[in-house]
Amino acid sequence: MKRKFVPWMFLLLPLILYTIWVIAPTIYTFYLSFTEWDGLTSPQFIGLENYKYLFDDPTFYKSLINNLKWLIIFLAFPVVVGLFLAMLLSQDIKWARGFKASIYSPMILAPVVIGLIWSWIYQPQGGLLNNTLTYIGLKSLTRGWLSNPETALYAVIGAAVWRHTGYVMLLFLAGLTSISPTVIEASKIDGASAWQRFRFIILPLLKPTTVIVIVITMIQSLRAFDFVSMMTRGGPFNSTNVLAFYMYSEAFRNYNMGYGAAIAVILFLIMFVFIALYLRQIRKGELE
Amino acid sequence: MELTIKQKKKIRRAAIFTALLLFVLVWLLPVFGALLTSFRTMDDLMNNGFWRMPEKITFKNFGTAWSEGRLNRYLLNSFIITIPSLIGTLALSSMVGFALAKYKFKGNMALYLMFVAGMLIPFQILLIPVFKLSNELGIYNSYWGLIMIHLVFQMGFCSFFLRNYMITIPDELSEAARIDGASEFRIFYQIYLPLSKPALAALGTLEFTWIFNDYIWALVLLRDDKLKPVTAGLATLKGNFITSWSVLVAGAILATLPTIFVFIFLQKYFIKGLTMGSGK
Amino acid sequence: MNIKKIFVVMTIMVFVFAMTGLAVAKDTLVVNTYTSDPAPRKAMQELVVQYEELNPEVDVELNITAHEDFKKAIRVWLSSDNPPDVFSWFAGNRAEYFVDKGLIMDISDVWESENFYEKFPKAFQSISVFDGKAYFLPHNYYWWSVFYRESIFAEYGLEEPQTWEELLTLGETLKENGITPFAIGTKFRWTAAAWFDYLNLRINGHDFHMKLMHGEIPFTDERVADVFKKWKYLIENDFFVEDAAAYSWQEGLQFLSRGDAAMYLMGQFILDATSEEVSNDLNFFRFPIIDASVPVAEDLPTDGFMVPAKAPHPELAKDFIAFLGSVEGQRIFGEDLGRLVTNKDMSADIYDATTNKGRTMIEATDKLAQFYDRDMSPELADKTMNSLMEFWHNPANYKQIMEQMESHRQRFID
Repeated sequence: MKRKFVPWMFLLLPLILYTIWVIAPTIYTFYLSFTEWDGLTSPQFIGLENYKYLFDDPTFYKSLINNLKWLIIFLAFPVVVGLFLAMLLSQDIKWARGFKASIYSPMILAPVVIGLIWSWIYQPQGGLLNNTLTYIGLKSLTRGWLSNPETALYAVIGAAVWRHTGYVMLLFLAGLTSISPTVIEASKIDGASAWQRFRFIILPLLKPTTVIVIVITMIQSLRAFDFVSMMTRGGPFNSTNVLAFYMYSEAFRNYNMGYGAAIAVILFLIMFVFIALYLRQIRKGELE
Repeated sequence: MELTIKQKKKIRRAAIFTALLLFVLVWLLPVFGALLTSFRTMDDLMNNGFWRMPEKITFKNFGTAWSEGRLNRYLLNSFIITIPSLIGTLALSSMVGFALAKYKFKGNMALYLMFVAGMLIPFQILLIPVFKLSNELGIYNSYWGLIMIHLVFQMGFCSFFLRNYMITIPDELSEAARIDGASEFRIFYQIYLPLSKPALAALGTLEFTWIFNDYIWALVLLRDDKLKPVTAGLATLKGNFITSWSVLVAGAILATLPTIFVFIFLQKYFIKGLTMGSGK
Repeated sequence: MNIKKIFVVMTIMVFVFAMTGLAVAKDTLVVNTYTSDPAPRKAMQELVVQYEELNPEVDVELNITAHEDFKKAIRVWLSSDNPPDVFSWFAGNRAEYFVDKGLIMDISDVWESENFYEKFPKAFQSISVFDGKAYFLPHNYYWWSVFYRESIFAEYGLEEPQTWEELLTLGETLKENGITPFAIGTKFRWTAAAWFDYLNLRINGHDFHMKLMHGEIPFTDERVADVFKKWKYLIENDFFVEDAAAYSWQEGLQFLSRGDAAMYLMGQFILDATSEEVSNDLNFFRFPIIDASVPVAEDLPTDGFMVPAKAPHPELAKDFIAFLGSVEGQRIFGEDLGRLVTNKDMSADIYDATTNKGRTMIEATDKLAQFYDRDMSPELADKTMNSLMEFWHNPANYKQIMEQMESHRQRFID
């Protein structure tokens, strides 16, 4: 009888705090999304108005599309390159440790710090990128990377990619070490080519890691905020806006708290798909 | 000319090595660029560009960022916020992790999944209510407001992490202790906690950098400049030294010193933390 | 590493920090301002020191936040239960907006006791007094005009243009000599809004401009198109520096400082940010007349101070406000920054020659506006300034931009 309460003894305080700071706020945001609230007077219930407005709001779609672009680039570059680097570095290469450390070192830096440094790199006058291009004779390519709406988003994502790639590489490296060398040796004896070995042996064995990497990458790209806030504040004219930042600026700059909450809810629902995927993967792992 | 397998292998390795070396050099260009900028004056940079020999090397940018830019204050604030959050979240999460790993009870799986979900949700969904909550609790614009949200929000990941670590610790130890009449709390405190040291070290290192690097909560929950952690402080610096990129970049470098310290001395734990948490 | 040791060290650190935190329990007056550029920052700091010397029992804590961050943070401060006691703010719609929300303390008693109704020119009452109650303390104001490098004008034998045609001719001459006519940095957008203000004031006049700012006239009005057409001509003919959107207004200054550009449409505070050498070479002229039949109007933004409704120390705050309205509380801004100050008792000889020239210009002006994002509701201004940036990038699209601005206005009036 008493034993039944034992786990709750450990869980009581954490759960109370978790309810106050995480669960209740999540639910409250759902409620707020049905209200109009300027953050000062009390929230007015307006039903689905915020959502109607949202689905008619070009900036919302712009931000959503930017999030999607972010996601696609994140899946393409850091994941592929990260895997490739992990494959190379898992071999017996001189200085491998140093190379690994160099590649993942950006991820230890705060996004704000990276955002600041890359803003400087992209600065049209005096910045590293334009200077280098001029120096190697490609002056025609120079531009205001962050002020040009055609390049701004990619410039911001570039900084984020620089931070994320090392993380992916580390995860794959960890996954690769868990593959037993005998499997690989056996395939070598069977005469499989390097590509075959990668495609038919290593990749399937890496599947659990790959799922995690993809989910984490998706979540990272949907959460993107710091880079945008530091580098462009969503500008020029929303060309780099993403949902997380749009939510923030509506809620805390224009004080449409209800509307901001509605954007947060949509963001939450989109991410929930990935979260559910992740949870399923974890449960599967538990049942095994 | 026929090459032996060994020779082939050697050439291949050399090629990979060279490619990697070039890649890493380009990869670290932003870091070199930042260092180069921070030791030069703005006039020098504007007149001569990046790829010329600097006219002179100066440490003044660091001094300016440190005192006029108040990086000294901001860095101190970062520690004041990070350390209690870190200790608190590790303490509470190890309790959660222990309960979830070592007791079978109804709702165990559900709670576990809840914490996992909690570590993945977009924190934007919490911004408005937590701002309101902090205000009502009277901890808006104080270190406590930030400490509490970090402490609680990070519990999601930490509980997940520690639960998965503790579940691998064999049950025999606790059974033996129980027979000796040890209380459940003692079992947790004297057996499982010490045995989880490697996990706590890895997690602590990782969480340190995460909490230290937070920006959005500091933006929302603080008003006074004197309370800001270094991330929000850098944003202020960017506003105040808007034309002096060399001061800004020097500030950015100063802001990363603690995390660089972690990188150099606790790298092992950091990597372990990252891969242990998601390697499952 | 030994985990226990780390824990012990960390716990000790926490205690030390907690103790230092407790030590500051004295009552202080908290003042938050956006005077973040070096010169105004110094002036504000000196002002506070001056006040503390006069009131040794009061401790003033001055928090200076960069302009753009300040605008964002202010609402959070005001809606929290722990706002600053006094904060700097902009006259106009931006001030009225907070007053309407009940966030600002009525400071009529200070206006009465200090006789500000008499000491400030009457015009300032309309931006400070709402429904018979005073909420705003107008402190200083400045003019906008076209600042230019005298040395460049002298080198090419140019004269200050009075009319639009003269400006265009002058611009062509500059371009022929490899100099961009106008420096600008539009990263934070309002520098572009200044161009909209001036073109609209010169083409359509003050009444139309104010109605447009208040959302009473559609942006699709043909008269607005005239503004965009003139502006489009300038952009398409390279009157502005390249990649303007990449620079803050201060970074835009580098073109002027280096002599790559000759002019900059800017407020008097441009002189805060330029080096002494450049400042001495800067002069200004009134934005050229486009239609001689339109009465001359200028942007004349006023900066001042307010007390939040929930200010923790209202009595101290009001005392500080009284000081800010006094001659002593305004001298530094007039003397060191060259701002015009509101107290009529201030002797005119504290101003330097440039400021006096500005005063003369204002006195010959028919109508005054504040500024684009001060006259317009903050949210509408925020959204339409995005449209202005889009126009800048693609001026040929101005019709579409006007429609976009109009749709923002429609949502605003709903």
